[in-house]
Amino acid sequence: MSSSRLCWPTPNGLPALGPSVILAACVLLLVISASAVELDLVRLFTAIPRMFEFASHLLVMPDWEYLPTLGVNMLQTIEMTFLATSIALVISLPLGVMAAANASPHPAVFHATRNLLTLMRALPELVWALVFVSAVGLGPLPGVMALSFVTVGFMGKFFAESIEVVDARQIEGVAAHGASWLQLRTFGIFPQVFPDFVGTVMYILDHNLRAAAILGLVGAGGIGYDLVMAMRMFDYDRLLPIALSIYVVVTVLDRLSDRFRRRLI
Amino acid sequence: MSTLEVVRPPLPKKPFNPTPVWLSGWLVVMWLIIVDLDLSFETLLYGAQDIVEYFSRYSTPDFADLSRYVELLMQTLATALWGSALAFIVAVLLSPLAARNLTPNATVYRIARETLNFMRAMPDLLLALIFVAALGLGPLPGALALGIHTAGFLGKFFSESLERVDAGVYEAVSATGASRLQVVMYAGWPSILREALGYTLYIFDRNVRMAAVLGLVGAGGIGLALHDTLRMFNYNESSALIIVILITILIIDYLSTWLRGKLN
Amino acid sequence: MSKIIIKDVAKRYANGFEALKGVSTEIPAGSFTVILGPSGAGKSTLLRTINGLETPTSGSVQIGEQTVTHASLREVRSQVGMVFQHFNLVDRLSVMTNVLTGRLSHRSWLGSLLYLFQRCDMDIAHDALIRVGLTDKAWNRADRLSGGQQQRVGIARALAQQPRVILADEPVASLDPVTSEEIMGLLREICTRDGITVVVNLHQVELAKRFADRVIGLNEGVVVYNGAASGLDRATLSRIYNRNGDQVDEQLETMLAYA
Repeated sequence: MSSSRLCWPTPNGLPALGPSVILAACVLLLVISASAVELDLVRLFTAIPRMFEFASHLLVMPDWEYLPTLGVNMLQTIEMTFLATSIALVISLPLGVMAAANASPHPAVFHATRNLLTLMRALPELVWALVFVSAVGLGPLPGVMALSFVTVGFMGKFFAESIEVVDARQIEGVAAHGASWLQLRTFGIFPQVFPDFVGTVMYILDHNLRAAAILGLVGAGGIGYDLVMAMRMFDYDRLLPIALSIYVVVTVLDRLSDRFRRRLI
Repeated sequence: MSTLEVVRPPLPKKPFNPTPVWLSGWLVVMWLIIVDLDLSFETLLYGAQDIVEYFSRYSTPDFADLSRYVELLMQTLATALWGSALAFIVAVLLSPLAARNLTPNATVYRIARETLNFMRAMPDLLLALIFVAALGLGPLPGALALGIHTAGFLGKFFSESLERVDAGVYEAVSATGASRLQVVMYAGWPSILREALGYTLYIFDRNVRMAAVLGLVGAGGIGLALHDTLRMFNYNESSALIIVILITILIIDYLSTWLRGKLN
Repeated sequence: MSKIIIKDVAKRYANGFEALKGVSTEIPAGSFTVILGPSGAGKSTLLRTINGLETPTSGSVQIGEQTVTHASLREVRSQVGMVFQHFNLVDRLSVMTNVLTGRLSHRSWLGSLLYLFQRCDMDIAHDALIRVGLTDKAWNRADRLSGGQQQRVGIARALAQQPRVILADEPVASLDPVTSEEIMGLLREICTRDGITVVVNLHQVELAKRFADRVIGLNEGVVVYNGAASGLDRATLSRIYNRNGDQVDEQLETMLAYA
């Protein structure tokens, strides 16, 4: 009759080495860090009723008088996003070229720019926002500064990566007709990477909207401030409207950017 | 010598190029935003000197409290790790349901998709605030917030990868009489495993940055320490903290890029 | 045992296109049947109604005692193996694991979740690999094999199901002539030795003449020939391959070329 000994589909019947090692390593890391993250299942389970209680607090009539302010602050958040992304776009175009191995004017420039971009995106926006608030005061200015700064780091990197995978033969074609250094990049490289650029910008806009929504936490403008204040002052009638407006704006931008991307490419 | 008059057949009418319109529209919008946000270029310029002076205050980092910083850093990394693990598990469970070619029916698809979108849309900071309110201070609410928020991203990535697998492969496995779950396990995941792991590493990278920052709302980690030192204008310690955070993020970034390179 | 009864099957798509218009036929158990016809004749559609990959708009398909319905789909499919034109193997998995996917309908959900198989499943898969002559490649990744080898893995996967019927949808269309011969020979040998009913879609008339017992000629969704392979004379082939009512006999070669 058939044997019912179980085994894996490998020559020796044991699970494959690669996946097993990776799995074991991950489990090990999680176990080691469990205490650092203060993992406490009891605490989690006892918190569940509190979560429901909190959720029930949210389901109250919204603070109607607050809604106009909400609208203004959401608009501010959206404006910060677009402005910061635009500023970053203008700066990232030349930086991206300089950070691309096949388009950079000089190897030294290439390495310097690459490292600069890595540093620019290393710290999260909120950290820079903290620093800039400390430098120029409260308001949307430090927020836009922080957002632009970090965005250049990411956009520059993505642009450089897109440039590095262009088809060299198309570039050769343009070069063979005596194009200058700048013309080569404008007419040879740029048309090829344009779809990728659009995708990158859309993705970054999406990310920046969420980032802008929380910069207000440290006073750098936008809806984040309202959010934190509402939590701290237990203004439950404002919390749900704020959360919902963030959700709606993010989703609308998401759908719009999908459509925009399809039209452009 | 006779001169021939060149008669050229007319070219088709040049299609309307909307680019100048878009470009000027964009510039107008930017200008309007600057006005509305009341951003003063003057303040920025005049403040430039101030800013240089301001940044010079960070030039002498004070590493006296380094051991505490490292401990907080471990907490931050642990938060990111557990958050990413939670995100991975949730994403693995939901993404086949959110993949058009694997989902059992349209309703389940819609619900799964919208759930993932909702998780993505909620900023992790907001979720962290809520979880801190429910669980108290510490890294655990931060891990939960990160986990739920990034589950949305990971779920979307995974389901889009699953949708890109050749339909024929799914067909072949289900033609053997396999159940939907088996099709997902044997034709879905093996086909996208490399991409999936790459995305997961990317999300872990991102979570390390966010975990550093969640401390600002009491969700543990090094962010809280930075907030305190900055608030008390303790620039030397802030500088030390920023350097510690920076080095950690750079190391994780480098490791994850290296790992992702090996996956390809 | 594994007789296929196709009763009045019609398939009409949402855009109004009628792929099949009332096809009725019986495919005897253990026979090697080839379906011939020009592109768009409905060969693929007909084949796929047998294992439920297409649902007929009207009519029914019965395999042995069992009717193909939405409820019986998995049970039917476990008894019907399928071989595809583009092989449809899971590229990143080993040859052995690909063949083992043929055993999935016999595995519990928990076991298959963990990629666990029973010893007897491994033996059946091993036997299938011996049958197709690929044991030395058992642990290679499926995408590292040549086209002919990949198709043999596909056949091994079907064999691992221990099926009553094997369907092959243009199994050699992506292969060179020599390899095509090998694959058709393999399918024929399986049919003769194991008594499995084999139904193959082909567009190469020569292969049909050499390997088939019976031929079903399909043109624009209607059966225009249903008989022995030896009956494939010029007149029959004209009927099968003519388009838009062309009757000219001398243009047969051209018609076959464009089929």
